[in-house]
Amino acid sequence: MLKSALALTFTAACLSAQSPGTDLFENKIRPVLVQSCYPCHSSKLKAPMGGLALDTKAGLLTGGNSGASFTSGNPDQSLLVRALRYNDVPKMPPSGKLPDQVIKDFEQWVSAGAPDPRTEQPTPGASAGGPRVIDFAQGRKWWAFQPVKATPAPAAKDKLFAQKWQRNKIDAFILSKLEAKKLKPSAEADPRTLVSRVYVDLVGYKPTFQEVQAYVNDSSPKRYKQLLERLLASPQYGERWARYWLDVARYAEDGLAGAQYNYAWRYRDWVIDAFNKDVPYNRFLQLQLAADQLPGATRHDLAALGYLGLGPVEHKELKLSKDVVEGLYLDEWDERLDSVSRGMLGLTVACARCHDHKFDPISKTDYYALAGVFASTQSAVRPLSAEDPNVEKQFIWARQRFTDLNGAISNLSENKDIDQKSAAEKIRLCKEELAILKPKLEAMEKEHPELADLVHNTLVPKKNGGGEGKRFVLNEKEAKAPYVNAVYDAGLWLDASHPDYTLVDLKPGEPRDLALYFRGTGGTGTGKTVPRTFLTVLSKTPGKPFSHGSGRLDLAEAIIGDAAPLTARVIVNRVWGESFGAYLVGTPSDFGDRGDKPTNPALLDDLAARFIANGWSIKWLQREILLSSTYRQASKPRPDALEKDEANTLLWRMNPRRLDIEAFRDTMLRSAGKLDPDFEGPSMDLDAPENNRRTLYARISRAKLNDLLRIYDFPTPMQHSPARVDTLTPLQQLFVMNSPFIEQLAAKLAESVESETGAAKVRDLYQRVLSRNPTPGELDSALTYIDRAPVSRFTQTLLATNEEMFWP
Amino acid sequence: MIPTSHLTAPSRRTFVSSLCAGFGGAVLADLLAPTNAGAAPLRPIGPDLAPKAKHVISLFMTGGPSQLDMFDPKPALVKYAGQRPDSVDLRTERKTGGLLPSQFEFKKYGRGGVDISELLPKLAECADDLCVVKSVYSFIANHEPGRNLYFTGSIVSFRPSMGSWVTYGLGTENQNLPAFVALSPGGGNLFSNSGFLPTKYQGTVINTSDSDPDKMIRYLRNKGMNDLEQREQLDMLQKMNKSHEASFGQDAFLDGRIQSMEQAYRMQFTASDVFDIKKEPEHVRLEYGDSPYGTGCLLARRLIEKGVRYVQVHYGPGQPWDDHKTLNKNLRERCPEMDKATAALIKDLKQRGLLDDTVVVWGGEFGRTPVSEAGDGRDHNPYGFTMFMAGGGFKGGMAYGETDEFGFKAVKNPVSIHDVHATVLNQLGLNHEKLTYRYAGRDFRLTDVYGNVVKDLIA
Repeated sequence: MLKSALALTFTAACLSAQSPGTDLFENKIRPVLVQSCYPCHSSKLKAPMGGLALDTKAGLLTGGNSGASFTSGNPDQSLLVRALRYNDVPKMPPSGKLPDQVIKDFEQWVSAGAPDPRTEQPTPGASAGGPRVIDFAQGRKWWAFQPVKATPAPAAKDKLFAQKWQRNKIDAFILSKLEAKKLKPSAEADPRTLVSRVYVDLVGYKPTFQEVQAYVNDSSPKRYKQLLERLLASPQYGERWARYWLDVARYAEDGLAGAQYNYAWRYRDWVIDAFNKDVPYNRFLQLQLAADQLPGATRHDLAALGYLGLGPVEHKELKLSKDVVEGLYLDEWDERLDSVSRGMLGLTVACARCHDHKFDPISKTDYYALAGVFASTQSAVRPLSAEDPNVEKQFIWARQRFTDLNGAISNLSENKDIDQKSAAEKIRLCKEELAILKPKLEAMEKEHPELADLVHNTLVPKKNGGGEGKRFVLNEKEAKAPYVNAVYDAGLWLDASHPDYTLVDLKPGEPRDLALYFRGTGGTGTGKTVPRTFLTVLSKTPGKPFSHGSGRLDLAEAIIGDAAPLTARVIVNRVWGESFGAYLVGTPSDFGDRGDKPTNPALLDDLAARFIANGWSIKWLQREILLSSTYRQASKPRPDALEKDEANTLLWRMNPRRLDIEAFRDTMLRSAGKLDPDFEGPSMDLDAPENNRRTLYARISRAKLNDLLRIYDFPTPMQHSPARVDTLTPLQQLFVMNSPFIEQLAAKLAESVESETGAAKVRDLYQRVLSRNPTPGELDSALTYIDRAPVSRFTQTLLATNEEMFWP
Repeated sequence: MIPTSHLTAPSRRTFVSSLCAGFGGAVLADLLAPTNAGAAPLRPIGPDLAPKAKHVISLFMTGGPSQLDMFDPKPALVKYAGQRPDSVDLRTERKTGGLLPSQFEFKKYGRGGVDISELLPKLAECADDLCVVKSVYSFIANHEPGRNLYFTGSIVSFRPSMGSWVTYGLGTENQNLPAFVALSPGGGNLFSNSGFLPTKYQGTVINTSDSDPDKMIRYLRNKGMNDLEQREQLDMLQKMNKSHEASFGQDAFLDGRIQSMEQAYRMQFTASDVFDIKKEPEHVRLEYGDSPYGTGCLLARRLIEKGVRYVQVHYGPGQPWDDHKTLNKNLRERCPEMDKATAALIKDLKQRGLLDDTVVVWGGEFGRTPVSEAGDGRDHNPYGFTMFMAGGGFKGGMAYGETDEFGFKAVKNPVSIHDVHATVLNQLGLNHEKLTYRYAGRDFRLTDVYGNVVKDLIA
């Protein structure tokens, strides 16, 4: 661009500037700079916007992140003047265009060689302006990027206690921190609490009375270990742990703007299976980014691509200009990039879309180098049956092209207001292309009938996918058709050859490198493109371009290879957080400068290192955690410890928690004996009266998120969710007090004890709901109550108790 | 900035701080905060300026109302009718034709001589309370992103709605009602989403197509018990809860849920009462008119009166103001009820002394073009359109800003959507640059990196 030559031309011109120019500067330019520019572009600011400081001559001369401020003598080539003119980006000042006379003054000033008599120096210690240069060598020293290594367990001060209390290495790290604060861990929780804790943790609901009793009455010293193994091996384990990952993956079954993902449930089921089979976590990530390119992956694994293929979709009105449409695609690529970078790497790479990351060593170039991967990756319905990759790619492309061309034709021909001649010409071109495309498409459909997903064809909304999140209900056969919502490699360009319609131009197998966009805005990416590569700071071969197709496979390999220490730390922290109700790093999706530091860094590193050494096995990690004495502690409050560590950062007790909506609803259904054990398969509307399946199988819609999920802190599937945030609201209690769902469960419970009388009835109900026997006091008061009120009113009360929802 | 995204410090503080979330527990949580010294509870972070107003009623004309036929008369349209000078060759959503003059007669009203057309005779009576901004501009000529921008300050779909930001900033004055309510007679995205803000700041969507409060709020009343029976049941429950907590030990969740149950119990009555417009005298209901929008306006006043912080009234269902064709006929049919209800709301608020601390905001996601579409329609126009504010310290009886001679583009004193947001927040005592929330590594604002308080609009 104009950047490099500028400083020189300016210096030369500047020398010739004499006092008339100085007057011009003092009278017309400086006052405007002071009033309209300094608020954001001053060296006195901590971080001048765009790296541009206009309050000193040096700053004005150097320019900012977008290059030099002006080409001396040439206003039309000068960024500063162009910005003031407001006819391309950036438009400055953002608060509104300055009067035309002021702009003329600036043009005149630049034409005169931009004389600047100022002699002030930048404030010492403040930014001198100019582009901020990221020091990657320094950046690589960040704690979270360091290699992980197993650390020797710290020795306890109280050896005798340690010997008695510690069960594994986790305990040594925890005890050492507690000792430093003169805190003792809590005693082991009672067996009832423990069995309940482990059930919820591993399978997602509380145990029945019989299951509790079986554990409590088991005298084997191995009973705890056997319980873990049994639950880890049960299919319900995957149903519980899949949901945590689905939050990370912002799983939903529609894309918001008209896109319906009919086979989204196959991704959900793939995640369930992956947890059940303990697919190594590095492989788990690889498959979700590149199952279609990974050696050894099965066709069934294509479902894993739902991580990318089930994202939210912005509505794109193709009648709008190319720049506007491009802006919406940029938003979508940004969303995919964000879900991958925060979800898998715990880094906020998306902050670098408009400017270099302000805090982490991630440049804007890094951002667009990664964003290119997503500009080269498109959502697609793909068959589960094995296909010739080339035929499949051509077919997916051709079918999309067929839809796009037809969309263009109908749109241009319906629009009576536009120039009919150019529209007719464009329509003719589209029809010509269709005439060639259609027989090809039909021939492919005939030869490979399994490629064509009929449901998809009939249900895709017409006309550019318009409309607000249409909902379609499939019949069972359609829903179970052998297809997945995945992705395939094709670069996306926009064709603005007709002024009234922007046509999407996909090129199968041809990746797209992106240029840098000003403030991430559509239409501004006109400079040199950057090759698709991994983040400089994490890469062992910085700048090495991705070489496989879109680059998804290279990206996956980098995430689990070059970035393995970070990737492992992030998942270990997620699993730890779900197991303890509190994280070692309190910002589970931000391990950068703005995130929290680990509360116990040595423990996190040691676990991450051993996690990798144990084949990235999630079940290994959970055994390690659940077998520790730390995990088995009671959760009751202790005044002495509360005083020293109120937030329980050091884990002197287990954190008492409440059930999330999935565990709460599933537990209540199970208490009432109504839980439908149907495993996997297409989703159901959560509000359907006949839906007694696990909450995991509820249909998740972005267009209309189910109310019950919403009021119980289910994260919005519009974006990656780092962790759920619990709230307590009266709306939640109204559900427990008044909803037909609870009333039905209460009635069912009452009915199941109909034949019993008096104390036996109450005892049975306590056992069914709270998995224990009532105390004599509780028995008395229950008997008094059901003497006056229907039994179903009492059963509802049991379901509504804090005890039912509590997870101590 | 409240670091709720930092999750090492677990449940106690989270629970205590979010006691009656959703139904906006910030004030209660604030009262409890002293017992939590050191922790950073979710309490109202503002106001940090002297507040002029406490409540907002946002009247949203879904689809984009035509400023040229209501507030922005342009005689030049008559002169150049059917022509297409270069200056109107701006790109909008669809292809447009020549200039289309308004068929409606304008007069100047009130002490400031505010232009109002014959379509809005009742609003004309309120002219001295209206602060009409004729130079609003937006960035996009398309409904969904335009509405995203209007409500959330960003064209993408998942940012927190302004009502969420305001309740995040100020909490609520009535724990037995939602702090932020969106009223609409139909579905679609009603911008009640709290985005990355905690769900306690999410708006409660009320469907006003049915005037029965039980149908407006899910699970509001119990069908199988009378109040006394339910109270007895709740007493039984709380007895069990208290004895459970006595055996476990003090716990924020256990405490919090006991209190939350009581709030829910009370809310059944408060909400049933406030959402029941049949409790309003007939003459008042007649003033507002018997339309879904009129019901929305009346409910808005009832809610504000009870301390609800932020109410959105969506003119719906669908996007009725999207007059791509037969504009004149549509406006003649639609304006009378809108005019009646909006004017009734402003007069009613004023009469009850509520207008001083309530900002009423009227607008749509954009306005409409001076050039025609499909003969007698107008296309989307984000370049220059009209919004008005009333009450809450906004200057009444004035018009501000100007569009070009045809009413297409804001040319004098342009006001962006972000400027409107910044100014309304300012009236609530919130500095739009300080009302931030840390998410995904950066401090987000309703106004993103834009927005200026428009001082000329405020007293």
